[in-house]
Amino acid sequence: MDMINMNIVESAMIAIAREMGINVQKTAYSTIFSEGEDFTCALANRDGELIAVADFCPSQIGGVPLLVRSMIKEIPLSEMSEGDVVIHNDPYRGGLHTPEHTVFKPIFVEDKIVAFSVCVGHFVEVGGMVPGGFPGEATEIFHEGLRVPPIKIIKEGKDVPEVWKMMLANVRTPRGNYGDMRALISAVDLGEKRLKSLIEKYGAQTFESTVQDLMDYSEKRMRAELETFKDGKYTFVDKVEDDGIEDKEYEIHIAVYVQGGEVVVDYTGSSKQAKGPINATLGVAWSAAFNAILHMTDETIPLNSGCFRPIRVIAPAGTVMNVDYPGSEVGGNTETHPLIVSAIFGAMVDCVPDRVMASEGTTHGCFVFGGHDELNDEPYGGFDFSYVGYGGRSFADGNDATDSINGNCANTPMEVFETRFPWIVEEYALRPNSGGAGQFRGGLSNVKQMMCTGEMLVSQMTNKHKICAWGLKNGGGGALGATLYKKAGGNKWETTVEAYGKVSPSKYSNIPMNPGDRVRVLAPGGGGFGAPADRSQEAVTEDVREGYISEDQARKIYDFRG
Amino acid sequence: MTRILGIDVGGTFTDFVSYDSKTQKLEVWKTSSTPDDPSDGILNGMAQKSSEQVEYMRFGTTVATNAILERKGSTVAFVTTQGFKDVPFIQRGKRKSHYDITWIKSKPLVKRRDCYEIDERITPREGVYKPLNESQARTVAKSINSDPNIEAIAICLLCSYVFPEHERRLKTIFEEECPNKPVSISYELLPKWKEHERSSTTIADAYIKPIVSQNLLRLQDRLNEAGDIKKVAVIKSNGGETTLEGARQYPIHLSLSGPTGGVIGAKYIAGLSGVSNLVTLDMGGTSTDVSTIVSARESFTTSYEIEFGVPIQIPMLDIRTMGAGGGSIAWIDKGGMLRVGPQSAGAQPGPACYGRGGEDPTVTDANVVLGRINPSNFLGGEMSLDVDAAKQAIKNVADQIEVSIDEAAIGIVQIANNNMVGALRMVLTERGLDPRDFTLLAFGGAGPVHITDVMHSASIPSGIVPNFPGQFSAFGFIMTDARVDLERTAPMTSKAFNAEHASRVLSDLVTEAKQSLSTQGYQANLEIYRSLEMRYFGQNHELEVAVEFDSFDEQTILDVWQQFHSVHKTRYNFDIPGETIELISIKVTAVSLTPKPNLLEIERSSGPVISEGTRLVRYDSGHIETPIYSREHLKAGDSFNGPAIIEEGASVTIIRPEYNVKIDLYGNILIGEIATK
Repeated sequence: MDMINMNIVESAMIAIAREMGINVQKTAYSTIFSEGEDFTCALANRDGELIAVADFCPSQIGGVPLLVRSMIKEIPLSEMSEGDVVIHNDPYRGGLHTPEHTVFKPIFVEDKIVAFSVCVGHFVEVGGMVPGGFPGEATEIFHEGLRVPPIKIIKEGKDVPEVWKMMLANVRTPRGNYGDMRALISAVDLGEKRLKSLIEKYGAQTFESTVQDLMDYSEKRMRAELETFKDGKYTFVDKVEDDGIEDKEYEIHIAVYVQGGEVVVDYTGSSKQAKGPINATLGVAWSAAFNAILHMTDETIPLNSGCFRPIRVIAPAGTVMNVDYPGSEVGGNTETHPLIVSAIFGAMVDCVPDRVMASEGTTHGCFVFGGHDELNDEPYGGFDFSYVGYGGRSFADGNDATDSINGNCANTPMEVFETRFPWIVEEYALRPNSGGAGQFRGGLSNVKQMMCTGEMLVSQMTNKHKICAWGLKNGGGGALGATLYKKAGGNKWETTVEAYGKVSPSKYSNIPMNPGDRVRVLAPGGGGFGAPADRSQEAVTEDVREGYISEDQARKIYDFRG
Repeated sequence: MTRILGIDVGGTFTDFVSYDSKTQKLEVWKTSSTPDDPSDGILNGMAQKSSEQVEYMRFGTTVATNAILERKGSTVAFVTTQGFKDVPFIQRGKRKSHYDITWIKSKPLVKRRDCYEIDERITPREGVYKPLNESQARTVAKSINSDPNIEAIAICLLCSYVFPEHERRLKTIFEEECPNKPVSISYELLPKWKEHERSSTTIADAYIKPIVSQNLLRLQDRLNEAGDIKKVAVIKSNGGETTLEGARQYPIHLSLSGPTGGVIGAKYIAGLSGVSNLVTLDMGGTSTDVSTIVSARESFTTSYEIEFGVPIQIPMLDIRTMGAGGGSIAWIDKGGMLRVGPQSAGAQPGPACYGRGGEDPTVTDANVVLGRINPSNFLGGEMSLDVDAAKQAIKNVADQIEVSIDEAAIGIVQIANNNMVGALRMVLTERGLDPRDFTLLAFGGAGPVHITDVMHSASIPSGIVPNFPGQFSAFGFIMTDARVDLERTAPMTSKAFNAEHASRVLSDLVTEAKQSLSTQGYQANLEIYRSLEMRYFGQNHELEVAVEFDSFDEQTILDVWQQFHSVHKTRYNFDIPGETIELISIKVTAVSLTPKPNLLEIERSSGPVISEGTRLVRYDSGHIETPIYSREHLKAGDSFNGPAIIEEGASVTIIRPEYNVKIDLYGNILIGEIATK
């Protein structure tokens, strides 16, 4: 194993993936790319193994191997030519959820495919029953948007016009989607060009063996980390509060088996799949387990398929953890994924107490809307993130207002948001008292209140309006989230259940809004770690002075005497 | 003019370069830095050469940088629009990295208890949506004035870039009510959208205003006492100079003053040598700075973070710093991979070969083991190096990965080089620039040691090692021009373009930029640059397109749209013909050129160059007996092929076998590839 070459090839590949991502960010049309960075740029080898990835959005990372393999299964390598670009989003073919589109480009060296450059991105508008891609009341995959199996959108460097026409005819914002697709394609083009010259520098054979060594190296380090974990079976049960269709809870069961440097994450016992779109696809079930384990192990291990080798996942089909066709699943990737990660932390607190946190808010808010913008005389679709409180840890408070653990997306600045969409934001703030009590308190979440200035349809896919983020080791729960509406001229803030007769206050489709109507989106806070009685008075005093907790609450919970 | 003095205040040393316009002679010296009061170091150094009159003194300062990085600024009150005081705390909602459970979110430079909200609202679509409630604002101002802890005030209102009048009015009100607390408003610092970036920048300006002001006033007083200097200028982050008075007004512009000298010097070298594309490699003990000169102009950016989530967005030279230098420590990670940095041995104890008790192997130790650095001629012989200590330190890592000391040492150097190539990629390929069009300019103590290795790995065909590579930043400071960068948001699309408005913004900016220079006493030799920030309608990041006209008319507008399509195509490999284009902002830069030194030519070569001896040196390919040259003996026109080593007081230049050397008229070492058949 040539450790020096390996180090050099690895950093060169990460730089390539990073450069691909910059292309997406700079040229994309949707703020979810340009500001939110809800995309992943990666390189894979011919067998579909992830060989390098840059830091953009984590939820897609664990999904890359399955995505590439699913594509190769339908389009064999022998049917790919130099200059082809394949596009795909089908959750039932290795995809994560309908909005997530993946583009692949084979990289040929001396007439042979050596690798793929891959870009996965979350499209805001994908057709389906609501503008914005998150129909909280979808019961079938067909409701969620256009399903795209792996197809060539570019053949030997030339656009396939039929595919472009077909895809753009099925979305509400064809101009924006066109720009976003171009952005993703420009990224894989760049990845191809750069990786090709790197491979040519070393020769395909040396490159491939170096990449194998690199994955072996990551595997070795991952095993070494897991060997320090105490062998045993660790369990936890958490719940999704409802599915948008029925007012009923769905359990997710976690059993983590640790033995001799290997881990099995078993979801057996989880509820049967829901009618509504909270189900995880197989890609999500894997990705979430990988995500949790990457959080508990050394962050400096080079991230590639080698890391995943000591990890096995058991996800029984037909459950909320591995949905059967044609169930709906758009929220599996946004709500259930972070819930699984938190539940794995909950299970592992007895194994590695210093490498986990109490539950975070486990949602991105996924508040989506669309309509016709009078100002620019064209249709628009928008996605708005909420930022949750993170869970307390054995050594520190939970972070305030941070994107849930399976994403790492930046907000759209209010000034950009109001320029792009007919909304006026009235408040964008932290929620005092939203962090769960504890020796190390949970993080505060955020609140965003806004008034719309044009007609639009609003939908949402979120969670924790009924079941709060739990604490660990006697820590308290975080505050519940809520989304409240107030019609123009009205004087009452109401949930969608109260105001619009929806089944769920957190998952719903197509609320009609008119100018002057308001909405207030409160994200859930994080759970606390350790008993509140053990929190230092100094920390409580500082929280009171900074207004993170009210004096009244501080007296009640922490016996604050200041 | 008699003498110009350039001063670079560094962490360990304060470097001085002086140029005498009568004799055309350059002089270089240094003193120890005095971090508690940097003016001590400056005065001490000047006293060393007190016999001669200084006409013009320019210096780079780290006062602002250190106050920010060490969080030693003032207590600031943050004033913003009703509903938005948490913007600096929420930030952008991102984590620093994906999988780090230990990460703790950065705190802004303000306490939440010191944040205030004002009843007013401007929106991008409606303009003034809620008028400014002046009496409420006055109440807030009074309450801030009565808080003895507050030392400075930062005001950033939502959408103030659309309509600045509310901020301007608040400035007046707060100055009236809080006469002893300086007021910073966002429109004067960053008149551009994105509230977190603008708030954070405004808060940082207020945060350092008192400390920068005190420092500059103290320096001014001491200089006045010490004697008569006609003009004193300090260097801004954009590499332009300003008067002390101008600097105190907007101290945020000094936040990255220190590292600019090398880039200014590089631009001068570009002009001198007729090379229009340079990439700089300023490698010191603990860090390396890289930057570019493209078509004989510096590259600028406005994106910088104090720490993750706490941005400062002001016009600055695009200098990327990475934690890799001669003192970077090599180590073996848990999986058995050899790594270099980011830990550094620093100045104390320093690399193992310094013999001050350091036991960790550093890049410098590897260079000593490989025969690249002469242990008996380090820093011009001021310090002798302990080769055995270096070997022992390298052996510790070599044993762990079961390779020879030599193999480990070459690996350390290769990985350090690769880290630098990564930084070069950020300023070149990530910005769409081709390294093959560039020349690498290496300076700092360690830059010349790595120059040909880096050229080789990064595919940069030519290189330059300037004179005084160790004091090159201070050298740059004797060449600065005065510079003002202005930008104004003027959003409109190609579908509905208001040429009259755009022309007015453009001409207002030109007038303001000229005025700003002239109030600082810079009127002569003006150059004006104009550019437009544009994007496809729907995109969120702009491309800058340079223009040369004074006003927009039918033809210039059409040219501008066409130019944008082609710039987009060049940068991102695609364009969208027929798509609506959006103009976001108009930028104007005014530069007042100052007189430059005339460097003396060195003695010309009259015969073949003779080496001082040879030494066995290890390269990637193996050991080669290598001729050693002394830089002070080299003459203009001397040329020779690698492998070669050129030694001088502050550094060593290593020439790999694939490269050759030519000395130019001024003594710069020019490096090129040896043509292969």
